[in-house]
Amino acid sequence: MFRNYVTVALRNLVKHRLYSAINIVGLAVGLAACILILLFVRNELTFDRHIADAERVYQVIMRAQLPGRPADTVANTQLPMGDAMKGAFPEVELRAAMVQQNMTFRTGEKLFSETVFAADPEFLQIFDLPFLEGDRPTALEDRSGIILSEEVARKYFGDEPALGRVITVDGQHDLRVSGVFKKLPPNTHLQFDVLAPIGSPAVRNLEQTRANWGAISSTTYVKLKPGVDAADFNQRFLAWSKTAFPEIRSPNGIVKLSDIFTPSIRPLLSINTDPIATSMRQGTAMTEIYTFSAVAVLVLAIASINFMNLATARATQRAREVSVRKVVGASRAQLVTQFVSESVLLTLVGLVLAVALVELVLPAYSAFLGKELSFNFLSDPGLAAILLGLTVLVGIAGGTYPAFFLSGFKPAAVLKGASSGVGGGSGRLRMTLVVVQFAISIALMVATAIVYGQFLYAQNKDLGFDKENLVVLEGFSTRAMREKARSVAELIAKDPRVAAASATAITPGTFDENNTNVRMPGRGSSELLVVRNEPVDFDFFDTMGMKLVAGRMFDRNRGTDYVTRPEWMRPGGQRPAGTPEDFQMPAAVILNETAVKRLGFASNEAALGQTYLAGAGQGASYNFTIIGVVQDFHFRSVRDPIAPAQFYVDPVQFDAVAVRVKPGDVPGALAAIDNAWKQFFPDTPAQRVFLDDRIQQLYDQERQMATMFAAFAGLAIIIACLGLFGLASFTAERRTKEIGLRKVLGASVPDIVRLLVWQFSKPVLVANLIAWPIAWYGMGHWLQGFTYRIDMNPALFLGAGVVALAIAWLTVGLHAAKVAQAKPIKALRYE
Amino acid sequence: MSGFPMVTPTYDRETNHMLKLVNLTKVYRTEEVETTALNSVNIHVKDGEFVAIMGPSGCGKSSLLNIIGMLDNPSSGEYWFAGEDVAGYGERKLADIRKRNIGFIFQSFNLIDELTVFENVELALLYHDIPARERKERVKEALEKVRISHREGHLPQQLSGGQQQRVAIARAVVSRPKMLLADEPTGNLDSANGDEVMRMLTDLNGEGTTIVMVTHSMPHAQYARRIINLFDGQVVAENLRAA
Ligand SMILES: Nc1ncnc2c1ncn2[C@@H]1O[C@H](COP(=O)(O)OP(=O)(O)OP(=O)(O)O)[C@@H](O)[C@H]1O
Ligand SMILES: [Mg+2]
Repeated sequence: MFRNYVTVALRNLVKHRLYSAINIVGLAVGLAACILILLFVRNELTFDRHIADAERVYQVIMRAQLPGRPADTVANTQLPMGDAMKGAFPEVELRAAMVQQNMTFRTGEKLFSETVFAADPEFLQIFDLPFLEGDRPTALEDRSGIILSEEVARKYFGDEPALGRVITVDGQHDLRVSGVFKKLPPNTHLQFDVLAPIGSPAVRNLEQTRANWGAISSTTYVKLKPGVDAADFNQRFLAWSKTAFPEIRSPNGIVKLSDIFTPSIRPLLSINTDPIATSMRQGTAMTEIYTFSAVAVLVLAIASINFMNLATARATQRAREVSVRKVVGASRAQLVTQFVSESVLLTLVGLVLAVALVELVLPAYSAFLGKELSFNFLSDPGLAAILLGLTVLVGIAGGTYPAFFLSGFKPAAVLKGASSGVGGGSGRLRMTLVVVQFAISIALMVATAIVYGQFLYAQNKDLGFDKENLVVLEGFSTRAMREKARSVAELIAKDPRVAAASATAITPGTFDENNTNVRMPGRGSSELLVVRNEPVDFDFFDTMGMKLVAGRMFDRNRGTDYVTRPEWMRPGGQRPAGTPEDFQMPAAVILNETAVKRLGFASNEAALGQTYLAGAGQGASYNFTIIGVVQDFHFRSVRDPIAPAQFYVDPVQFDAVAVRVKPGDVPGALAAIDNAWKQFFPDTPAQRVFLDDRIQQLYDQERQMATMFAAFAGLAIIIACLGLFGLASFTAERRTKEIGLRKVLGASVPDIVRLLVWQFSKPVLVANLIAWPIAWYGMGHWLQGFTYRIDMNPALFLGAGVVALAIAWLTVGLHAAKVAQAKPIKALRYE
Repeated sequence: MSGFPMVTPTYDRETNHMLKLVNLTKVYRTEEVETTALNSVNIHVKDGEFVAIMGPSGCGKSSLLNIIGMLDNPSSGEYWFAGEDVAGYGERKLADIRKRNIGFIFQSFNLIDELTVFENVELALLYHDIPARERKERVKEALEKVRISHREGHLPQQLSGGQQQRVAIARAVVSRPKMLLADEPTGNLDSANGDEVMRMLTDLNGEGTTIVMVTHSMPHAQYARRIINLFDGQVVAENLRAA
């Protein structure tokens, strides 16, 4: 029996090639799109799952509610908090704090800059990295040890064993390799190549960081004992933080840190799908995963609708077979089974093609996403099961309606004579389905246009400075190096290929930020005023192309324009007794527009000449006089709101140089920058980036998602058109006789083309009416998530409708023209 | 109404009836019109009979055959098939009775284009839970009976009309039905092929199969034992011919 079904199905496939091709190609493309999305989604959802007891491991996150700014949650904590947790929670099995630092490694002639994870020994108990050399449990206990990934070990030592070899770090510390580990699979948030004990001599500023409860700069992981409920723990954690977090003194008086910072833990397994700024790796939000899953379902729905439409449109061709089968005794259930099996078979053929397509595009797709997606369905029974399940599901979804439709024929009517005797009873339903397809396509088109438009808008939005030809030189990792930053900038600025250069403590595009609180004279200390601290050198605004909107720039000839630190603030100095107000450093300050508003000035001009106190750390304060206001600029992506900021000249804090190179000879300018660096620091590699590249990176994921969305939406539209093409060809075929008659009666070719084209324009027009409000609502909601966003232009909606209509016309017009031109006699003869 | 006198059947009502139609009426309702295709028809067919139904176009012959073949339900009246009133039965039950008892032959052959001669005939056994080997034997046997075995691998389009109709007969008889229904089986055939088909039907009747046949051809009707004349949905005459 089943063989008979397959025989008939296959012969039908071959006989009706166009129909089969449309169906199979549509299904294959739909399935391929779905599989690609599935691989992406599966990869995102399986992050960090391979870590032992992953479900008991958590990361500590911190909600920071800085006064006057929207609350922000970061994946970092204060290092002292990580330490203080030790022993405070019996339900915590393990706890490890970790800080990241860039260090310079040298072995023999090899000199590289590496990002080092400096962690507590428990880190390697929570994360069971496989060790190739050394002993994992004790590897972090040796303070002069350093642990390398297999790749990095090979980079320094080739194929020789690395264990026990010496690496000179930052030119001053000789560390011995105490272990070599195999890196975690790529789908982990923990990507690192070098691990060091947190107490390593190479870790800088450890004592200050350990004492600073205001610096959110480390990462803390905890592993809870089995059976401990995370929500319960979070409650105790919060309660604990109220007493554990200290109060700090500031020019504004006492600040309770627990009023600003709220710690909690989040599951390791949720890190990837809960992207938080300052995570080590940008994850993919659940909304994106849902969105793409929905797109996959829609694409498949469109392909299934094609199948349904074409199968029922063609029903007349199968009517005789159905009737004969009934006459010889087939029950309706048997016929339904037959047609559903046929549809599943067709989907299977589509699957084979889809698998080939996926294999073909997977390398490019993986590279585009920057992920390692694997598609080993042969060795991955889960994946194979999903593929087959998907096929059966699509086959049944697409085949059930046609099966019931076809099996419902009354043989008495069909078998009567030569003509099939089946009317196009389901014509209306077919058109309804076409409406659904086009509504989906149009909505996706609108969504794509808006997603892409928003992305382009964000990427091209004026950031408040000129990001072209700007080079940032970093890597001033030690205090000694930082003290030379201004000299490096001055040397670089002398090169004729360089337009301007300035030392600075900030460069846009990074996540670091340093905030301080401010006390306005004559106002009570009840309100906490927090602004970003941005030490910059005299030429910074000119170098960046930032515009002053009031007042004046810093002037290197006025001694009062820059900060002069008292002797005791130098390393090793001892602070005399007194409150922060007793140690005031007068200096000039420039505010951004947001800070002017935040500090309560009526206008930019009103702020000029005003003075205030701001915390300067080490128990001192700045006594600032406002000399200018700089136009707001974006520190990061335009997604993030602009924070209030104060700029002042405090050379000890500079740790980067911003360089504006002249467009003529960029390589020459870069060489000049590298040369200048080498003159000062011959033993440390220079780290320089183009600022626009770095800013570009902030939009990488958005670009990726927008492109991916556009690609899949495009596929959906193509599949829908394919279906329309097939449907049009069948309709044209079926109406051959009618068209012949019309021609005999005097209709012209354009008359007939118009007739057919109109028939297929109606569903597209109706689809617009359905798609527009849905897209309007959905995309409006989506745009709400952006501080700076595009308007929803009605022309976009109209445009999508026109495009859909044009595509429909093109698809249908071809057939219409062909049929309309056929000789009427020919048309009449064949019926 | 018609001026033809009603003729009372002359045979014994109580013995071995294959089928018995009592006051059977069929009304087609479309949106605009109501057509009474069969009007209070009473017909009895005995086991092993060969009955021909004749009448002008549109008088209801096909409608009658469709009801007899359980492809359609009557609007009212009784339809006794092998002692069971099936008039009110649903599709599933009718399909089951039909499958076990009735074979069909159509004017337009109705072979499935995608299947070979062999497969077309085999189709009639596929829904009968018959093992493959036996199926094969029976199909071969049926094809031999209609002398088309040499074409068993061909597709319908590769056959002449007469050959196609012979395949259709093979398909109708391969499941060994008690009754064979033929709606103008010779309508699309030339006289030589038509005669050939009629001889085959007569042979089948000789082997005990009840046959009800609609035809427009008087000579072909002569092969039957009894001719029922329909006019405007009513039985107007029944002629019993000598065997
Ligand atoms: N499905 C239907 N719907 C409506 N009316 C129908 C239907 N089938 C048949 N009729 C009508 O019922 C009447 C009898 O039709 P039927 O097909 O039984 O005639 P027939 O005797 O077989 O004619 P022919 O010799 O031309 O085949 C006709 O008037 C026909 O128009
Ligand atoms: Mg008829």
